[in-house]
Amino acid sequence: MSQIRSEEGALARRAVLDILPLSIAVIPWGILTGALAIQAGFSALQAQFMSLCVFAGAAQLSSITLLAGGASFSSIYGSTFVISARHLLYSITFRQHVADLSLRHRLLIGFLLTDEMFAVSEAHTNRSGAFSALFAIVSGLTFYVIWNGATLIGIIAGDLFDNLDSLGLDFAIVATFIAMTFGELRKYPVLIAVALSGVVAVILKPVFTESYIVIAALVGMFGAYSFAEYLDPENSDGEYKEGPQ
Amino acid sequence: MIWLLLLGMALITFFNRYLFFSDLVSYSPSPKLRRFLSYSSYSVLTAIWAPIIFHFDGRSEIAIAGIDYLLAAALAAALSFAKVSSIVVVLLSVSLFFSIRFYLV
Repeated sequence: MSQIRSEEGALARRAVLDILPLSIAVIPWGILTGALAIQAGFSALQAQFMSLCVFAGAAQLSSITLLAGGASFSSIYGSTFVISARHLLYSITFRQHVADLSLRHRLLIGFLLTDEMFAVSEAHTNRSGAFSALFAIVSGLTFYVIWNGATLIGIIAGDLFDNLDSLGLDFAIVATFIAMTFGELRKYPVLIAVALSGVVAVILKPVFTESYIVIAALVGMFGAYSFAEYLDPENSDGEYKEGPQ
Repeated sequence: MIWLLLLGMALITFFNRYLFFSDLVSYSPSPKLRRFLSYSSYSVLTAIWAPIIFHFDGRSEIAIAGIDYLLAAALAAALSFAKVSSIVVVLLSVSLFFSIRFYLV
């Protein structure tokens, strides 16, 4: 029993450590989200509620900007849907892992499913060979607490932080995401996925400011899938599993 | 009115996250779709980080966020390709990034 407990403790610590660089990287965005919400006329409670319940950085920032510019609710809902549409990809990818979990755990993992939690959780699944609900929940909660703490700082003291963007904390995102993907680059389909989605995202971002991530990802996935089918058409029984190391 | 906006947004983001976890969706991905989805993390993560470093102006020019970004990302790429563990890759490349940023640039 104590053996199991200590293994779970180690897993939980690893989950916190894995998501920590990504959580630190979004602190400036959390502060900005809180500060901008107040500037746009939200009450402190509404600004915090947004991070507590919407819990989606890019969608929050863009909706605050849209609202301040006088956009209609329907256009804000539309942009929220488009920006967070990439979560549908995470949801369908995770489906096989969570199908047998209790409703409570599925609701919790669904609620906590962010880019960051998906990234570290997929990496853990591929590293250890099995999905862990504990790992997903602990990493997701860690991110949730830090995101909401950062929002709170922005609500209380937003005007104190002017140059957060220039600190370069976003490099932690670059480093972590490269670290999670480049180890498998020797596999040609993965190389194609990375090259295609990267190039397409860079080119599309100025035009499709809200949907470039999901479009680029689908192009990369399609390229990788087509090449994998070409290399190995027989192995389509679902055993073929590749993911971040 | 803002409360209504926030509730609507919360429902939309939760819908996108939970949709395929729900019992109401009984769809189960075929082996081909699962193969397709096995590349989702590589593709999404790259689509998120690449535009942080490379900025396209929409016409012909591609700018780089900075030499600090480029060199530290190159280090991260080389180390990861060489199968160095993720935590070490992040620590070393972030250290290089801030060293360049605060001492050289």
